[in-house]
Amino acid sequence: MLKMHNIRKSYRTDTIETHALRDFSLEVDEGEFVSVTGPSGSGKTTFLNIAGLLETPTGGEYRLDGEDVSNLNDRQRSRLRNEKIGFIFQGFNLIPDLNLFDNIDVPLRYRGFNAKERKKRIEKVLDQVGLSARAKHLPAQLSGGQQQRVAIARALAGEPRFLLADEPTGNLDSLMARQVMELLEFINEWGTTIVMVTHDPDLARRAHRNIQIVDGQVSDLHRATAPATAEIA
Amino acid sequence: MLELRPILSALWRHKVSALLIALQLGLTLAIVSNALVVIDERSERISRPTGLAVEDINSFSFLAIPEDYDKFEAFRLDLDMIRSLPGVASATISNHVPLSGSGSASGFYTEPNKETGGISANYYTVDEHFIDALGMKLTAGRGFSPEEVMQVGATSSERPTVAVVTQKFADEVFPEGNALGKAFFLGGDDHPIEVVGIVERNLGPWPNSSVAGRGVFYPAIMDQWFYYIVRAEPGQRDAVLKLVEEKLAERDPNRVINADTMEEQKAQQYASDNTMIKVLASVVILLTFIVALGIVGLTVFWITQRQKQIGVRRALGATRSAISRYFLLENLIIAVTGIALGAAAAQVFNGFLASEFNQPALPPIVTISCALFLLGVSLAAALVPALRAANISPATATRSV
Repeated sequence: MLKMHNIRKSYRTDTIETHALRDFSLEVDEGEFVSVTGPSGSGKTTFLNIAGLLETPTGGEYRLDGEDVSNLNDRQRSRLRNEKIGFIFQGFNLIPDLNLFDNIDVPLRYRGFNAKERKKRIEKVLDQVGLSARAKHLPAQLSGGQQQRVAIARALAGEPRFLLADEPTGNLDSLMARQVMELLEFINEWGTTIVMVTHDPDLARRAHRNIQIVDGQVSDLHRATAPATAEIA
Repeated sequence: MLELRPILSALWRHKVSALLIALQLGLTLAIVSNALVVIDERSERISRPTGLAVEDINSFSFLAIPEDYDKFEAFRLDLDMIRSLPGVASATISNHVPLSGSGSASGFYTEPNKETGGISANYYTVDEHFIDALGMKLTAGRGFSPEEVMQVGATSSERPTVAVVTQKFADEVFPEGNALGKAFFLGGDDHPIEVVGIVERNLGPWPNSSVAGRGVFYPAIMDQWFYYIVRAEPGQRDAVLKLVEEKLAERDPNRVINADTMEEQKAQQYASDNTMIKVLASVVILLTFIVALGIVGLTVFWITQRQKQIGVRRALGATRSAISRYFLLENLIIAVTGIALGAAAAQVFNGFLASEFNQPALPPIVTISCALFLLGVSLAAALVPALRAANISPATATRSV
């Protein structure tokens, strides 16, 4: 599903060059649930950004679903993000001016679905996350856990094959965090590949595989409940 | 895909700032469209044909110092001398100078001994050279012969029997047409004055007055009111002005000479119109600039405020053009709302100006043109911020900003 080979990413200012990822290589199979851990500043977010086509690597090769995506233009990357990748952010990142229905509608509009198709999908995912009755509510009217469930619904509405979660439970209490994690596991069971960045070792252990990033490189590989392949750079 | 409904609901949540910009646009439209109508009216007024060779004409008057000064002899000698000067095309003497702001007017009637129902018009006393000297066009009949020109002193009782009139005078005093050969009378008088010639146009001394364009020329020279009107050959006006002034002083140093160009006098007559045009044009430019600035400011503010949201939209699959389109469409909605309000306000404002200040009506084409112009300004103002918004990285979505 995801194959990174010798990915490098550096940020340059006038005086200093920072290497966020160095010869980073990783493979994630279809249907896997991989957790990514590491200390702050280790390169987790950079990895997530590159994996989600939010940033371009400085060098190396990245294949997503068999397609080399290292050198795509902005429009092609936008299309791939929209069609193949679902995002779940730590801060939920719902649009505060839009109600739940319209929030979930955002990526579907970019996909070009007609109104009928969009409505069908939105109602389906709202039902899946148990928030059908709150469709017309604004995000500010929901609890943190509910907002994250809406964010998950938004990520799922386009039926992506690959879900990227950035600290999905970081802003939630333990009860809410457990519910969200269960939801992610459920989604994974349907066949969606998930890569989750987390600080929480308990959550990380619940994934099929845990990789640890230190100083921009994969430093450790821990197999949890299912076989997986990974290359240590 | 157009995001009309989400944009409307986002705007509704920020309705105060959106409405303020819309109102600013509306107010600008109301003021700009009415200002343009006034500018157009004033410009049209200034550019009306005068019927005169304005660019080539100078006028001169003098103040004689001795009390027993023989003015009629001075007129004869002065005019003979002026007509012989190089660069002079023609010269006449008149009681007033057209477009100068100084003139005489009276009521004229088609029947004798009438006091009411006449038509007001300017009148001039001139010699036989007046048509050529003023650069007017004779459209019917004839001018005056030297024998017809009377000398009218303070105690004279002799009155002219013929006159040349402007076409406008002829059309309004004799609406049935064919004014040539017909007689008119002064108010309460039974002395007929026959129309022997018609000139195409002469706006008269007060081009903005209601009598402008109605003119009567009598073959007479008055010693109380007199001006030499001198038409120079094309391009020679300033040289002629200087030369005539010198020669008049040289011929008789016992008098004070005043000289003016007709162009300067015309400019003075239209000074308030020109000032009005400049002031209103400045208001139009300033308001347009302020409204553009307001739109830029609001768009930049909203983009800065929604930087994270833009990043999220990009992460969810929005292309750069989709982001720009979003902000341009949002701006378009505000602009169209403001313009709709402004079009209505423009009509109300125009009604007030028409009733209180006798301003012309606002034609729909002016409102439409101004609306399209402001729409263009609004979109242009939002374009740069919208393009900058499109450059916000999708990675902003994962940053803790």
